[in-house]
Amino acid sequence: MLIHRIGIAAAILVAATLGFSAHAQNTPRTAEMQVDGLVCAFCAQGISKRLKRMDATAEVFVSLENGLVAVQFKPGQDIDDAVLRAALTEAGYSVRGIRRHDESLDAVRARTKAGP
Amino acid sequence: MSLSRFIGLALALSPLLGHAKPIAYQGGTTVMGEYGAGTMQEYQAFYAPGYWWSAGVGHLRLDAEDRRYTHEITYLRANLLAKRWNLPRAQANVFAWGGVGSARGSDFAGNETAWNAGGQIDYETLRFYSSARSDWQYAQETFSHRIDTVQFGWAPYVHDWDRLATWFVIQGRHYTGGLYDGTEGAALLRLFRNSRWGAIWVEAGITQDGEPQAMFMFNY
Repeated sequence: MLIHRIGIAAAILVAATLGFSAHAQNTPRTAEMQVDGLVCAFCAQGISKRLKRMDATAEVFVSLENGLVAVQFKPGQDIDDAVLRAALTEAGYSVRGIRRHDESLDAVRARTKAGP
Repeated sequence: MSLSRFIGLALALSPLLGHAKPIAYQGGTTVMGEYGAGTMQEYQAFYAPGYWWSAGVGHLRLDAEDRRYTHEITYLRANLLAKRWNLPRAQANVFAWGGVGSARGSDFAGNETAWNAGGQIDYETLRFYSSARSDWQYAQETFSHRIDTVQFGWAPYVHDWDRLATWFVIQGRHYTGGLYDGTEGAALLRLFRNSRWGAIWVEAGITQDGEPQAMFMFNY
């Protein structure tokens, strides 16, 4: 009986762990950067091309109006802050800050279009 | 201060030109052409290995206003971003360039070695653009031309990179070397759009003499 209960508990634990892991894998991971000097469409094009070349990048969103560059990562992947900062600096821009969250780029787009 | 006095003062203070940046971004190729009111035509192609420098080729044709001569110069040029200030919602740049090429003209025989040098300063926000630029072409004992231009632009709305950008631009240009007498003013409409193939820039307008002026730029 005890062995049977332990077996059920273990099965529940494994299922929960797998479920949580799958959820974490499917939740978008996004890095949002506040960037100075972002005023022309050329800037946006150069930054977007550079970030899209990175293996872990799923999608890039640039908002000139908000001085914002957001990168959504592929499931289970990530890019270090230092690497993101270097990419922007080497493209000729200054990064003021980076924050990470679980919003999709569609949500970031909607938020920035809606205004501050 | 009236607009005409403001523009006059700006021209006096800043005897230089401005339009596109000679370096777009790292890894970017820029192709551009300009038709300047029957006095100048220029075509350029640059590649930027880094965000702070680019190199390429160009061809410039200069026609004197009184049609006394035509000079055509084909050149190699390197562009350098000497200084950049990244500010919240604004950017300012200082560019310098130089190169060498071959010139031929209707008023001299054969080909001459022609040197070119120039610089540009600009300041830009999402609604305001200003630039001043000077281009100098020189062939020893044959010609020396400087084309100085200043531009002020205003955008009626804030454009994001997925929208068409519209700018109204006022330009003043001064030629030396007998190309054009006085300062040439022009009013221009500039349109800019990103596409899946690259960024497209088109600019067209008219000078105070009623001559057309146009420019295109493609960046990929």
